[in-house]
Amino acid sequence: MNNFGVIEVASQKTKNAPGWAYVPDTGLTPAAAAALQPLNRKRAARDKANVGAPDLTARQDAKIRKDLEALDKDSHRDAQIPIPPKAGGTRAQNKHTPNVRKILQSQKTFANHLDDYQAFLALAESNPQLAAQVNKPTPTTTTTTTATTTARNSPAPSTITTATTEEIITPDSSEPFPPRPDTPTSLEPSTTATPTTTEQPKLQSYPPDGTILPAYNRPPPTPHPGDDDPLLVSHVPPFPTDEELRALITAPPLSYLEARAQWTEEEEGRYPARRFCEVCGYWGRVKCIKCGARVCALECLEAHREECLVRYGL
Amino acid sequence: MTGRGGAKKSRAAGPAPPTTTLVLDNGADTIKAGFVSDDKSDGKPRIIPNCLARDRHRKIYVGSELEKCKDFSELAFRRPVEKGFIVNWEAQKEIWDREFFDDKAAQKCDPSETRLILTEQPNSLPSLQTHCDQIVFEEYGFASYYRGLAPVFNAYRDIQSIFRTPQSTIDSPAQVILLIDSGYSHTTVTPILQGRPLHPAIRRLDVGGKLMTNYLTRLLSVRHFDMRNEPYIVNEMKEAVCYTSLDFKGDLEKTWKGTRGEKREDYLSGAGIAKDYVLPDSHTRFHGVVRDYEPGVSARARKGIISTEDVLTLRNERFVVPELLFNPSDIGIRQPGIADLVKQSLLAVPIGLWPGLLANIVVVGGNSLSEGFCQRLQTEILKRFPDECRVRVARPEDPIISTWLGAANFAKHEHASRLEVTKQEYEEHGAAWVARKFAAGLGLDP
Repeated sequence: MNNFGVIEVASQKTKNAPGWAYVPDTGLTPAAAAALQPLNRKRAARDKANVGAPDLTARQDAKIRKDLEALDKDSHRDAQIPIPPKAGGTRAQNKHTPNVRKILQSQKTFANHLDDYQAFLALAESNPQLAAQVNKPTPTTTTTTTATTTARNSPAPSTITTATTEEIITPDSSEPFPPRPDTPTSLEPSTTATPTTTEQPKLQSYPPDGTILPAYNRPPPTPHPGDDDPLLVSHVPPFPTDEELRALITAPPLSYLEARAQWTEEEEGRYPARRFCEVCGYWGRVKCIKCGARVCALECLEAHREECLVRYGL
Repeated sequence: MTGRGGAKKSRAAGPAPPTTTLVLDNGADTIKAGFVSDDKSDGKPRIIPNCLARDRHRKIYVGSELEKCKDFSELAFRRPVEKGFIVNWEAQKEIWDREFFDDKAAQKCDPSETRLILTEQPNSLPSLQTHCDQIVFEEYGFASYYRGLAPVFNAYRDIQSIFRTPQSTIDSPAQVILLIDSGYSHTTVTPILQGRPLHPAIRRLDVGGKLMTNYLTRLLSVRHFDMRNEPYIVNEMKEAVCYTSLDFKGDLEKTWKGTRGEKREDYLSGAGIAKDYVLPDSHTRFHGVVRDYEPGVSARARKGIISTEDVLTLRNERFVVPELLFNPSDIGIRQPGIADLVKQSLLAVPIGLWPGLLANIVVVGGNSLSEGFCQRLQTEILKRFPDECRVRVARPEDPIISTWLGAANFAKHEHASRLEVTKQEYEEHGAAWVARKFAAGLGLDP
């Protein structure tokens, strides 16, 4: 416990302290909301130009954010439900190991864990050595996983691929596919010809014949008079090579935020967002002059106006 | 270095492998749990609410005790699982203890003689995974344990029978499937090849049952009664009345009341879309009832003529809510819908796999129970891919327990014995090694 001249790293502390953690203070919007709804400057700028009143869109944006946060919550009010005491009370309570005690006492939410993880990733990016040290107590991040997976699998693919390339690139992948008029059930490599299997006594590759997805070797579908009709020929894309499949199968998992689906740049504005009436849910064809909310027609506009004044204190 | 040889050796030296397996699909809303052993197995899992609930008399129900609850009004929940991952172990341990480990537990088991197969959602945080492993071994001391991705277990089911394909042999695991899991917290798309998930192509949409229930709550609170403190009742209503529209524009048109003074025929007659929902009154009726729309009933009820029951007329609420899965941008979520999710996922795999994946799309999870879901999904996916791709979307008969059934098959498969980690191995190599082993999965060996 000698701290002279040693500066502790904040993220290390957040990992080890039981029951509490340093969490960045993001004001009203918790980090979970940021994860759910990252700001997109481009979009904000475009919307702004459309409306012409930047104040309004900022306010609407905030409203959408707040609404989504509310939708993401488990309950309307934060329920503090304590664990009821046991009727029997026979279970011994104090036999937990230190790890377990720490986990059970932790009051961290998912957002806290996500923050910690992102802080760690940022640290790993800026200072890999330090991150490796911090990482030691819980070394299960993607970086180490990558390293070990590759380390573990590197001998296998290299030897196997060099040895079996000839068989792997079977006629089905190098040549154009034989036309298959109908692909009834499974669209696996659609050759009816069985691949030439040569024994591989020493190397244990997947599966014995060397391809990850074996060629179709079940009885072919019953022939049909239209099979040879050139008009009915369907195109089947070339089957991926075995190396591609191997790389795909052994790839490490993405992180939580990477796996979240997002619009790509060009897809984002392809279709305009649909707007709905805030009162009745029909298409929002009319905009309230005061707050910019959408309503469908006069009747709903009147209903909206009644609370519009109250809501914004205008 | 973590080769199977080493694992086998240490296992041979250790105690005899456990004969029973506890298969646990620990969802955010419900736990699906059952035992599997070589000679016999539970055909169906027990479904346990994964929550602590408190009713308005401040009585607290833990897990399956919720069955005893009669009055669901103002029921508040505390859930140990957040965003699909077990976060609050204090609460989770309490529920597990009461269901599996206490003396009077409904599914009592002795962890030291049991193997545990636990499901987890894809792309978890490493710290949460480590917590899970530590609790399983250090607190409960299971004899052996495997933690695997929930979608992947579905590959061990007889997939072709779900598609009703005539087939002589059954592949286990299935060769190629694209699994869509739409649950309480989120919706994920996972391509699976020979029982191995293709990690770079897993995508997640943060729209799940919880968000849809909350959205319905908001719509009802704006248009009818304040239902914000009634999550249970609204959820029941959502499951009973919501459906996926196959013609969104048309349905929306039919449910519009029109401009001022206009009397639209479809609106007055209900057009087959409007339904009356009778809310539970907590005295004689504890569950809501769906009725066909009867013009004037709710209007009369509003005026107090029939005051014995509270009736809501649901119109576009019925299909706007499941629509969020297909168009999350309707409420301002900047994420692509479920069909574009499939497209983004497929863009991450070679085109040669597309035909196989598209022809074998399996949908599981509670949201897929909404009427018309598969049909809508199929038409939306068809629009996004070349004409020649054959698209088949199928939903197992029991989408909620499908993952559990797959995991039960997995428990009997030889893959299970390859992937599991024994307590001895955990003590020898530590939590980090276990996490790496689970992350590496089956690898390339057959």
